[in-house]
Amino acid sequence: MRNSKQPIIGVSNSILKIKELISHVASTGLNILITGETGVGKDLIAHNLYASSPRADNNFIKVNCAALPETLLESELYGFEKGAFTGAHKNRLGKFKAADKGVLFLDEIGDMTLSLQSKMLHVLQTGEFSPLGSSQEFKTDVWVIAATNHQLEEKIINKEFREDLYYRLNIIKIDVPPLRERPEDIPPIFEYFFKKYSAKYSESKVEKPEKQIFEKLLKYPWPGNIRELQNCIKKQMVLNDWDKVINDLLNNPTIGTSIKNNFSVLPDNNFDTTSAFLSEFINFSKSSGSLIEDISLKKIKKQACDKIEKEVISYVLSKLAWNRSKASKILKISYKTLLYKINELDINPHI
Amino acid sequence: MIGTHRILIVDDSRDLLDTFNDFFNSMGYQVSVAPDGFEALKLLRNNSLNHFNLLITDLVMPQISGVGLITIIKKEFPDLKIIAMTGYGYEPGILATEAQADLVLYKPLDLFKMEKNIAKLLKINTKK
Ligand SMILES: Nc1ncnc2c1ncn2[C@@H]1O[C@H](COP(=O)(O)OP(=O)(O)O)[C@@H](O)[C@H]1O
Ligand SMILES: [Mg+2]
Repeated sequence: MRNSKQPIIGVSNSILKIKELISHVASTGLNILITGETGVGKDLIAHNLYASSPRADNNFIKVNCAALPETLLESELYGFEKGAFTGAHKNRLGKFKAADKGVLFLDEIGDMTLSLQSKMLHVLQTGEFSPLGSSQEFKTDVWVIAATNHQLEEKIINKEFREDLYYRLNIIKIDVPPLRERPEDIPPIFEYFFKKYSAKYSESKVEKPEKQIFEKLLKYPWPGNIRELQNCIKKQMVLNDWDKVINDLLNNPTIGTSIKNNFSVLPDNNFDTTSAFLSEFINFSKSSGSLIEDISLKKIKKQACDKIEKEVISYVLSKLAWNRSKASKILKISYKTLLYKINELDINPHI
Repeated sequence: MIGTHRILIVDDSRDLLDTFNDFFNSMGYQVSVAPDGFEALKLLRNNSLNHFNLLITDLVMPQISGVGLITIIKKEFPDLKIIAMTGYGYEPGILATEAQADLVLYKPLDLFKMEKNIAKLLKINTKK
């Protein structure tokens, strides 16, 4: 069945709220922007929106805007007429047409080039598009759901993303937090996939993790989020050796520096002798005698700056009873930049 | 007269909500507040009998934005008057106008001026 719904598993407030939001907005057809790191469930959420909507009987068409070079993406989206360019031997329908009366899921929208962003904006404004090489405009009735793992607000400031397009996509915003910020979702998701893969993959009985191992899974930062958790369970189905599976997790090269605290329960870490100050920014957990491979000064600079900025802004805001326009004047940044930073650095009033 | 008018104010800034609440209360309106578009939508849907006369909503908010809220509301509660307000420049304002907000205001706001606009919008006779 094309519109069969995969469940969104989770007990965290953010997941419960997302599920509730889906039920309230799925019938509206309003443009939606889903943001979050890779593997957090953006595709899954887009699909659930579609499956809960009156459009579920029509197509769900996904286009990955990062996967194709500009010209290809353009013809992929809008189609082309015979003779539009060399090689265009016959007419080709684009995804906008294919998604008619259904959903067009624009994945990785943050990677779309500015000129395609302009074209997209025009289509969203007018509800019409024309295939390459055609002068005819076609009406389109698609529900646009976009997703990105980029901070579009930052891209706007850097003039890499059109602000007007951003606001037009951002009518409903679903921000999916990384798994490490909602560890309470790990047990139910683990249960779900362990059961599912046990049935699917393995003949013999696969060990569930002991309590001590499970604690490690709970503390692991999951840079690849739910997809990584899935893969880890799949691996266990094959290896049936938790120590090995956990060890492999540790060797994941993408583990960020800021999360090193979470490693304290994992084996082979030795950052005890290092000053607490440094260990805030450097991940010593991977060092095995020979010192650390990954000390990017640029990254550390950014983290340190963010930390100071956050403290200064919080301090000023708290002194001004959160009067943000006054605060922006004192800090000598624009009101808009301040709002952006409050959001970006996750600054909250202490109540 | 004013006392019978119910306003729902939506903004993701707590202090702004408090300010609005105090001000419009003191002007004699019955005020309810919501911290985001999603909560506002739920409130409106649950209070459809005891209905509101005016929605004042911020535009840029997480989850359901003001523009989203206005679009949904216009369909479900066509009689509700709507004022949109934003501190993010003109872009969201344009979208709010497209979504048929009755009035779009740009922050920072002059509350007294705003109250006059509201009275006009709700056809309240302030001379009495
Ligand atoms: N809350 C969840 N419950 C169950 N499965 C999930 C959940 N979130 C993500 N997944 C699964 O994890 C994998 C990655 O999710 P996906 O939607 O592709 O992430 P993204 O698009 O954000 O990279 C998919 O197989 C998806 O089904
Ligand atoms: Mg995806």
